[in-house]
Amino acid sequence: MIIKRIAVLISAGRHPTSGQPRHCRNDSLALTMAVDLANSHSTELDVIHAGNPENPALANYLALGADEIKVITAEPIIENLAANLKDVDLILTGSRAENGQDSGLLPYLLAVKLNIPIVANALEIKQMDDKLEVLQFFPKGKRRRVAVKLPAIIAIHPLAFVELHYAYAREQQGKIVVLDSRSTVNNTVAENNLQWQIQPKMRKPNKLKAPENLTGHGRLLSAITSENKGGTVVNEGNSVEKAQVILSYLREHQLINF
Amino acid sequence: MMRINPRRSAKISAAGLKRIVLTAPANVETPHPHKPLLTKKNSKAHVLVIAHSERGTLNDHARQTIAAAAILADAETKVLALILGELTEDLTSAGADEIIVLPELDFERFQPKLELASISAVIESVQPMHIFMPDNAIGDGDLGRRLIASQRTKTAATQVVEFDANHVANFQAGGTLLAQSALPEIILLAPNCVDAHLPFATSAERSDSTVTNQTSANQTETSNYQDLGLQTIAATEIALEEADFIVSAGNGVQNVATFESLAHALEASIGASRVAVDDGKFARDKQIGASGKTVSASAYLAIGISGAVQHLQGIKDCRHVIAINTDASAPMVKRADLTVIGDAEEIMQTLIALIAVAKLTKLKVAA
Ligand SMILES: Cc1cc2nc3c(=O)[nH]c(=O)nc-3n(C[C@H](O)[C@H](O)[C@H](O)COP(=O)(O)OP(=O)(O)OC[C@H]3O[C@@H](n4cnc5c(N)ncnc54)[C@H](O)[C@@H]3O)c2cc1C
Ligand SMILES: Nc1ncnc2c1ncn2[C@@H]1O[C@H](COP(=O)(O)O)[C@@H](O)[C@H]1O
Repeated sequence: MIIKRIAVLISAGRHPTSGQPRHCRNDSLALTMAVDLANSHSTELDVIHAGNPENPALANYLALGADEIKVITAEPIIENLAANLKDVDLILTGSRAENGQDSGLLPYLLAVKLNIPIVANALEIKQMDDKLEVLQFFPKGKRRRVAVKLPAIIAIHPLAFVELHYAYAREQQGKIVVLDSRSTVNNTVAENNLQWQIQPKMRKPNKLKAPENLTGHGRLLSAITSENKGGTVVNEGNSVEKAQVILSYLREHQLINF
Repeated sequence: MMRINPRRSAKISAAGLKRIVLTAPANVETPHPHKPLLTKKNSKAHVLVIAHSERGTLNDHARQTIAAAAILADAETKVLALILGELTEDLTSAGADEIIVLPELDFERFQPKLELASISAVIESVQPMHIFMPDNAIGDGDLGRRLIASQRTKTAATQVVEFDANHVANFQAGGTLLAQSALPEIILLAPNCVDAHLPFATSAERSDSTVTNQTSANQTETSNYQDLGLQTIAATEIALEEADFIVSAGNGVQNVATFESLAHALEASIGASRVAVDDGKFARDKQIGASGKTVSASAYLAIGISGAVQHLQGIKDCRHVIAINTDASAPMVKRADLTVIGDAEEIMQTLIALIAVAKLTKLKVAA
């Protein structure tokens, strides 16, 4: 299969301290990967944003390589995005937005809606016949290769190997068009809906701790004896025995495999 | 009103003064050798915790998630832990009343459909009030979002940084806002928002898996996704922050060559204390601590490092700390899970030799 259409979904970001609108770095990684892929396969690329076409953040994406940004104004977002992505072979997204609930859920919700597979945490993508090979990020130096059948959604990991190129000239040439929205998608399904209330003041979150039901005596004891956890101390033996203790510990906790 | 016993136990100090000593009041039963067991016999409801294990154990984040469920559950609610992957450790201190282990669903394999079908089957059968999962990158964050997307009638929150019986809170709008809502049905917890230490133990009984094999899910799996395998980047190439095994040198390491061959033999990344870096023995980017890097390795081997607070700050997230030091009173010894007292050079040399032998015998056995 040849990839005929690629779409990349971009959200509007904001500067964490000044609150100034700007691109969302996660989504720019996806955009840059999509542009490269579209160029090398000479396929059509749709850069899609759901929201306000006037948002100044969108200009950043033009500068970062989008020739044209299609903006969907109709709500609900998922349903309207899905309606515009029906015949797309590959959809790239970032991993987390910076403007709404930032739940990282959008790609998953879209995958269910379109009934296509999704692979998240992608660092690299490569096309292989009718499949896409994805290198997935795992912590602690682990990586996994996964092949996924197209059409599919790929959410790009923030550590993806991508360099962003910003060009002011492109910002001037690029266009933002509002998609003639097919709006009026009925949204009858519940949507994991929660009523969020924004806290007026930013504060440090409170850590949950189990209440301890100690007697007065117990409380006093715990106040005066610090929990000195210190592990095993090996003082005895020659260096071979000591080294052996270390190896056994590592083996026992499966930290080495020999 | 309570009368204070005038003959409370006391001892006479060297200066001849009477000092009341702290003893347990006689009428209170002697403190339990074990923590009280909190398992609910006739549970009316369930909370479910779902987490992947790593090498047969649960990491701190997963344990915090179980603790969260245990703290919220009242006396008539059972905490059921559904562990994906092998489990070789005991979870009585973690807070689970009952455990189901699905060893074939370990995080190393990519089988999202099978996983989703299996956890959905458990959810269907126990109808939990709440489902808790750690929002991590070893598969639970991904699986949790697949679950939320597949069950849109359930309320859900991700990256939860604060919660109690009535509310959850998380950061929104790029981390610029803290938002709060009622406790949802599915909760993906950020790390370190719960103290995993519980003042009680639970029975943590294993029950036989009620989940029948999800062969139909398995078949569609291969049509959509194909797992091409997990790989580990060479220890020398990965960033220290990401490293899983670090050997770290301090001022007590004289011979850097020996140290480096030990790191090589253990296939570990190299770290160092500030003094070792200042001496020019290691590059600045190897420095671990307050003014260096913060690491979260599973294994941290500290050789000739005294363990100044500035250094310990950088290793607070390490799971197993092993120290080699000539001084048994060094602060590192208190932090370490295992300390070997002795000369660094001698023990490193011996370790290298032992490792070579162990690797050779393993090769022979395999052949
Ligand atoms: C603002 C500030 C920031 C700092 N930031 C950092 C930081 O980011 N990282 C950091 O590491 N430090 C930092 N420090 C420095 C820190 O306070 C300590 O000075 C430093 O960590 C000590 O390094 P060390 O343990 O290698 O050396 P030492 O304190 O000299 O300890 C050497 C240890 O090796 C043992 N030893 C000696 N000979 C042998 C032998 N033959 N075999 C085995 N053991 C032996 C000794 O018993 C001793 O415990 C900072 C300090 C300040 C003031
Ligand atoms: N309004 C939007 N328009 C287009 N794409 C979006 C929008 N919101 C989120 N996305 C995409 O979905 C990803 C995850 O977003 P979220 O689930 O909101 O954290 C982002 O990185 C974007 O790629």
